[in-house]
Amino acid sequence: MKFRFRELPAAGSVATRPVVDVWLEGLEVTGLGCLLDTGAMHTRFSADIAEIAGIGFEAEETSRFAVAGRIVEGRPARVGLSLRDAVERHDWDAIVWFCDPWPFDFQLLGLQGFLRHFRVTVSAYHEWVDCAPETDEPFLEPAGRHQLP
Amino acid sequence: MRTFTISGQTFHLDRARVCSAVAEQLPEPLQEHFVIVDGRRYPPKQVIAAVTGLDRADFTTHQARRVLTRLGFVAARQTYGKGGGVAVPDAARGPFEGRQAEALRPFIGRWVAIRGLEVLVAADSPADVVAWLSRHGQQADSMFRVPADAGSVGGAAPV
Repeated sequence: MKFRFRELPAAGSVATRPVVDVWLEGLEVTGLGCLLDTGAMHTRFSADIAEIAGIGFEAEETSRFAVAGRIVEGRPARVGLSLRDAVERHDWDAIVWFCDPWPFDFQLLGLQGFLRHFRVTVSAYHEWVDCAPETDEPFLEPAGRHQLP
Repeated sequence: MRTFTISGQTFHLDRARVCSAVAEQLPEPLQEHFVIVDGRRYPPKQVIAAVTGLDRADFTTHQARRVLTRLGFVAARQTYGKGGGVAVPDAARGPFEGRQAEALRPFIGRWVAIRGLEVLVAADSPADVVAWLSRHGQQADSMFRVPADAGSVGGAAPV
């Protein structure tokens, strides 16, 4: 599935960013604008999104992270995500860390939760992102591997 | 203050009163026509219903547009497709030739839901955006906050 970069207004010009829209189970009215973050171990969303989608947390586990220069507290949850375009849809289970506070404009897609599931090609020159599922088989992320080593 | 007769009733209206009437209302889904009030695009009938209390069945979109344009509000027609609806700067670039950025520009700092190049709704929180989509039976492609400053547009972390 190929997505054009998101255009954003910048002072007197246009900025483009590699944003991919990911759909979260429980939130069927809209996809979530997510930035590709190839340097991030985890996929992180705002805790507000978990509340809106009615995501439950099985464990009380929380961790503090430094995200883009900010300290946030996150809780992991195994959720259903999907990537969609006009003709195709790919669903997968992922561990997403829901974080608070979340002062960012987009959600973040990292290795766990997203990049492990897709072969991603980014053309910054042509301003598109191509996400091809690595396998047609469901890939269940091991629950014990969502901690940083 | 100007006097208008709508659906047989007389109303004394001015811009401030119109702005105040819709200040707490998110714009409903646009059909063909819209009017810009405080930087937001509203269906004309929503605005007139809010400021007069009239039932929307009591007047037409054309009447609502006429009243609002006479009060100095900009009214326009929704257009779709390439080059439609949004002014494109001369130096436009990007995969949508600047049209997406220009559509988002009025909503800097706000949470938006978009479908294609169209901004369906803008609100102060993601919860408000989702509530609006659910209430109006709309489905969007994407929800995010339009970056408010050069740092976050450029990828720098907020401080």
